[in-house]
Amino acid sequence: MSGPLSASEAGMGFRIGLFADRRFKYLVIAPAVFILLFIGLFPLIYSLVVSFQNINMMEEDTSFSGLMQYRLLFQDLRLWQSLGHTLLITAIALPIELLIGLLMALLFLEHMPGRPVFVSLLVLPTMIAPIVAGATWRLLFDNRYGPINQVLGWFAGEPMTVLWVIKANLVYPAILLAEIWQWTPFMFLILLAALSNVDKNLTEAAEIDGASDWRIFWRIVMPAIWPVMAIALLIRGLDLFRLFDVVWALTKGGPGTMTETISIYTYIQGFRQFETSYTAAIAFLVIVMLSVAVIFALRRMEITR
Amino acid sequence: MSGASATGAARGGAGEDARRRRRRRGRRRLAARYVAAILITVVFLFPIYWLFMISFKTPEEIFHSPPVWYPARIQFDNYAVLFRDGDVVTVWNSLFVATISTVLAMVLGTLCAYSLARFKTGGDNLAVWIISQRMIPPIAIVFPVFLLYVWLGWVDTYHGLILLYTAFNLPYVIWMMRGYIEDIPVELEESALVDGCTRWQVMARVVFPMVRSGLFATAVFTFVFAWNDFIFALIMTRSEITTYPVQVTHYFGAQSNFWAKIAAMSALGTLPIFIAVAFLQRYLVRGISLGAVKG
Amino acid sequence: MARLKISGLHKYYGKFHAVRGIDLDIPEGEFTVLVGPSGCGKSTLLRTIAGLEEADEGTIEIDGEVVNDMRPRDRNVAMVFQNYALYPYMTVFENIAFGLRARKTPKERVGPLVEKAAAMLDISALLGRYPRELSGGQRQRVAIGRAVVREARLFLFDEPLSNLDAQLRDEMRSEIKRLHQDLGKTMVYVTHDQIEAMTLADRIVLLKDGRIEQQGAPIDLFERPATRFVAGFLGSPAMNFVPAEIVGNDGDLALSFGDGRQLVLPERRRAAYAGRAGARIILGVRPEHMERDRGGNRRPGLDRMRMTIDLVQLTGSRTYGTFRLGETEVVAEFQVHDVEKPGEEFDLLFDMNRVVLIDPASDEVI
Repeated sequence: MSGPLSASEAGMGFRIGLFADRRFKYLVIAPAVFILLFIGLFPLIYSLVVSFQNINMMEEDTSFSGLMQYRLLFQDLRLWQSLGHTLLITAIALPIELLIGLLMALLFLEHMPGRPVFVSLLVLPTMIAPIVAGATWRLLFDNRYGPINQVLGWFAGEPMTVLWVIKANLVYPAILLAEIWQWTPFMFLILLAALSNVDKNLTEAAEIDGASDWRIFWRIVMPAIWPVMAIALLIRGLDLFRLFDVVWALTKGGPGTMTETISIYTYIQGFRQFETSYTAAIAFLVIVMLSVAVIFALRRMEITR
Repeated sequence: MSGASATGAARGGAGEDARRRRRRRGRRRLAARYVAAILITVVFLFPIYWLFMISFKTPEEIFHSPPVWYPARIQFDNYAVLFRDGDVVTVWNSLFVATISTVLAMVLGTLCAYSLARFKTGGDNLAVWIISQRMIPPIAIVFPVFLLYVWLGWVDTYHGLILLYTAFNLPYVIWMMRGYIEDIPVELEESALVDGCTRWQVMARVVFPMVRSGLFATAVFTFVFAWNDFIFALIMTRSEITTYPVQVTHYFGAQSNFWAKIAAMSALGTLPIFIAVAFLQRYLVRGISLGAVKG
Repeated sequence: MARLKISGLHKYYGKFHAVRGIDLDIPEGEFTVLVGPSGCGKSTLLRTIAGLEEADEGTIEIDGEVVNDMRPRDRNVAMVFQNYALYPYMTVFENIAFGLRARKTPKERVGPLVEKAAAMLDISALLGRYPRELSGGQRQRVAIGRAVVREARLFLFDEPLSNLDAQLRDEMRSEIKRLHQDLGKTMVYVTHDQIEAMTLADRIVLLKDGRIEQQGAPIDLFERPATRFVAGFLGSPAMNFVPAEIVGNDGDLALSFGDGRQLVLPERRRAAYAGRAGARIILGVRPEHMERDRGGNRRPGLDRMRMTIDLVQLTGSRTYGTFRLGETEVVAEFQVHDVEKPGEEFDLLFDMNRVVLIDPASDEVI
C-alpha cells in the first residue's frame, strides 16, 4: 500500500481489516481443531454410544443395553487388578526417577567443560522407541545369554540363571528397571535446566545470611524448582499410566495376567477378545476420568505459574 | 592514589600457598565429578551398546554362555539379512509415515498456534483442552477410531495411519509453537501490518523466519514421537503397512527369538534418533518438558 | 563495627583482569562508596569482599582477620542486592528472620529482633505479606531489613537503588544515610550514580578499569580532582573540557583559545604554572564556575569574556546555556532570568580560582 488513503478509503480498509482478522483467526485454527475433534470428541461420543450397546465377538447387538457394560466393569476383578498393577508401577517408578534424576542434576549442575556431550549421550535412552527399550532389556535379561545374569554371577561368585521375565517375583523389578532406565534421563534433563534457572542472587543472599547448604537447598532451591518438577511429574505420571510398550516387549502382560497394565488389558479385551462394547465402556471411563484429572491439574498449575 | 601493585605482589606470596591449595581442592572435586559422570553415562549407555553389539555378532557369539561382550569382528550380516528378506521396507514405511504426518502436523499446528498466541482464540479453555488431548492414553482413543477405520476401509493403509499420527501429534505442535510464537515481540508483526502486509504475509515474512529454530526442534520431536510409536501401528496395521517397531515384535517367537534380527532392526530404527538428538541440542529440554522449562 | 583492609587485590575472569591491584583501608564506622562506570570492577570488588568471588591475589582483612579462605556465611557480613533477592515463597517476616534462624538464634529472640528491624525501616505493617505483593521501594526496605537484623559487622550494598525510579531513589538515599547515622556500622556501597556517591559517602573510591583512580572525601574529589576522569565523572552537568594554550604576556599567565580570546589566570596560581608557558593544556571548567557579568564588584581571580549563547535549556530552577569557546561547546549554569533566549550576547565571568588545568598527555590535573 502506498500513498495516503482518502477518509472513506481508510474507513473501508479498517473495517475490512478487522473483519478479515476475525475471519483469519478462526479460519486458521479450523483444520487443526477439526482433526483434534476427530481424536478428542469423536472417540468419546462413539465410545459412550457403543458402551450402551452389547457388541462382542459373538453377536452384534446394537440395542440399548443400559449400564450393563458398566456394571460388568465394576465387577471385573481382572480390570481392577490391571489398574492396581499400573498404579503400583507408577508409585514405585516415579519417585525413583525423580530422586535419581535430581541427584544426577545436582552432579552436573556446577560448571563442567564437556557437559553438553554428557547430556546428549544421557538423553538417548529417553529418545529411543519404548518398544525397542523393552526389547533391549529382554535381551539383557536373558537367563543364559544376557549380561545381567553374568554380572550378578560375578557378585554371587557362581553362575546365576535368573529368569527375569518369567518368574513371578522378578517380573516387576525387571519392568521397573527397564522403565526407570529409560525415563530417568527425562527427569534429569528437566531438573538440570530448572536448577540452572534458579536466581543466583537468592542462593548468594541465603549464604551470606548464614544458611547451611542443606538449608539453602530445601528452603530456597526446592520451592523455586517446584513448579517445573510438578509438570515433569504430571507428564511422567500420565506416561506411566498408559504404559504399554515396555511391558509388552518384556512379558506381554504375563506371566498369566500378573503384569497387565490397564492399557494392555484394554487392548486384549478389544483386539483379542473382541469385547467391543465392554472395551468401549472402559475407553469412555478412562477418557473422562483422565480428562478431568488433567484439566484440573493444569488449571491449578497455570494459576500458580 | 591508585593501588600500588608492587607492594601487592610482595604480599601475595603468603596468599599464594592458600590459593594453590584451594585450586587443588577444586581440581580434585572436578575430577571426582567427572569420574561419577563417566560411570553414570556408561551405565545408561550400556544397554544401547549391547543392542548394537548383538547386531554385529555371529549367531554363535550371540548364543554364547557366558555372553560375549565384544564380537571378534564387526560384521553386518544381520543387517544384510534384513535387506535381503525385504524387512527393511518397514523402516521405509516408518520414515514415510512419520515424515508426512510430521509435515501435516507442523503446518496445521503452527497456523493454529499463531491464532492462539496472537488472538488468544478460544481463550484458556481451548488451549487447556488441546494440551489435555496429548495426555489421554492412546488405547482409549484408538479403539473407536479403529472401528471407524474398519467402516471406512482405512485399516492397514498409509493415509489411515498418517492421519492418526497427525491428529495425535497436533496438540504437541500447537502447544510448543504457541510458546515459541509468544516469545517473539508483537511489535515486529504490528509494524509489518502497519506497513500494509496481510496476516498471511506477516506469518510468512515476519513470524516464520523468527521461529525457524523452534519450528525445526518441534518438527524433530514430532517426528521422533511418530517414529517411535508402537501401539497405534500395532492396532491400525496388518500386513500391508508395517512400521519398524511392530516388525521388531514379530521377531519375538513363541519358541525362539530371532535375536539378531531384533537387534539389527532395532539398531536401524534407532540411528535416526541419534542424528535427531545431535541436531536438537539446544532445544532438548524445552521440547521434552512441553515448554515448561526454557532450558 | 569492623575495620576493612584490602591489600593488593587482583581478580581475573579468564583472561580479563577485572581488579588490578586494589589497596583500601577503611576504618570502623565509615561509609565508603565504590563508584565508577560500568565494568570498572566495583561490583567484583564488593562480591570479593563478601566472599561470593574468590580473590586471585592479595588479602582481605576484616577486623584484622584474613578472610580470603572463609565462606561468605562465616565472614559475618550483610549484603543488600540490586534486585533485592527476597525469598519469594516466604513472607516479609520470614525473609527477615531467615538469617537469624539459619544461625540458630533462639526462637524467643527472633520475633523481637525482626520487629525492631522492621520498625527501623518503617515496614512493620508489611510483615505478613509476600514479596510479590510489595512495591519496589518496599522490597528494598525489606532487603535492607534483612541485612540490618543480623547485627553483622560489615554492610555491603550492591547498587541497591538502581532499580528504583528517581523520586524513590531520593527517598531511599536519605533513609540509607539515616540508617548509617543510627547504626554507625562500617558500610561499603557500590553505585554508578555519582550523586549517590557524593551525598552518601564519608569517603569516595572512584574506580576505573579495575584500579582506584582517586579516593577521599567527596568534596576533595570534587574540588581537587587528580585526573581528568575524576573531574569529568563527578558533578552534574559534567565539567567542560576545553583545549587551550598557556601564554605569558608581561608577567601574567593566560589561557589562549584558538579564536583569539583569552582568560587570565589569577595571581596566586601563576607560580604553579610559571614554567609551562607555551604548553598545550585542557581547561576544566564546571558549569557553575561561570556566571553572567552584571557589573558590581568583581572578586579577584575572575576574568571576563564576551559570549553568544547558542542553546538555552530551562529547568525551572536553573537555566543552562551553551556557547562556543574555540572548537568546543561549553555548558554554563545560570540563574533563571540571566538568559532567556538563544542568540543573547553578554559578558561571562569565569571563576579562574576554581577551574582546573589538565595535561593532555597524562590526563592528570596539574
